[in-house]
Amino acid sequence: MMWKEKYRVGAELIDTQHKELFHRVSNFIQAVQSPQPWENKLEHVKETMAFMQDYVIIHFNDEERFQAEIGYPELERHKEIHARFRAGVQGYAKRAADEGFTEELIQEFGGRLMAWLIMHVAAEDQKIGQFLRSQQGGSHES
Amino acid sequence: MKAEYINAFYLATQDVFKLMLDLETTRLGMRVTDELVPFREANVVIGVTGDLSGSLLYSFPKHMALEMVRIMAGMEMKELDAFVTSAMGEMANIISGNALTRLFEHNYRCDIVPPQVMIGTGQSLSMATPSAIVLQLQTAIGNFEVSISLRTK
Repeated sequence: MMWKEKYRVGAELIDTQHKELFHRVSNFIQAVQSPQPWENKLEHVKETMAFMQDYVIIHFNDEERFQAEIGYPELERHKEIHARFRAGVQGYAKRAADEGFTEELIQEFGGRLMAWLIMHVAAEDQKIGQFLRSQQGGSHES
Repeated sequence: MKAEYINAFYLATQDVFKLMLDLETTRLGMRVTDELVPFREANVVIGVTGDLSGSLLYSFPKHMALEMVRIMAGMEMKELDAFVTSAMGEMANIISGNALTRLFEHNYRCDIVPPQVMIGTGQSLSMATPSAIVLQLQTAIGNFEVSISLRTK
């Protein structure tokens, strides 16, 4: 299980979507690392790649809308970080489409995706929570 | 090499280990070497360009690399496969990026080249300077080294 309670930002929609992302990435890693033959995992791998491409766009759009609503001062910087994350996922999706869904490539993607997600949620997104709490006078409970 | 370079990498490593792994990192020591040679099983090399240029080498024992990825993934890792080495490479990339942000505050503008993972010991790397600084670091799951070979433009 990759999700940790310390990753909570304190906004229900964002936390729910983060949990879903961690859940999907966790399942993806389990599938990629399971001892079954690669052919048996391919369908799940392709499904998750497609899901990640769609879901990061939905989640990042929702998160950016939320940041705009609360007047988050680092919105533009955060948008740039999201753009790089999205480009990273799309880059691997393109490579998989061009080169094939090889075990080596998908393992590499899984490792990077996991590190990106943890660092993004554990560091950058926590700043949204800090801002939110400062706006609520420190009385907000997540 | 100036102390601010070394400190930027030490602080960035501390930060990223705490954020991503919930691990405290302490400095065991520092030494100077005249060759950049991986002396652990799992190594990540990152190139630096810009106002400072050269190479960074992150060197981890195998058991520590597997444990780091286990903490992130929440599941046991058995081998230094493409998943594990990719996660290690990305983590070193994040630490280096974080350190360069700190160096930017000292007016050094630099970029990093994508990480290259090397498994095994012994293969010597080219250095930007006549000597490199090796930071020896300690965590609850093992000791590792960050070697810094950077020169000013």
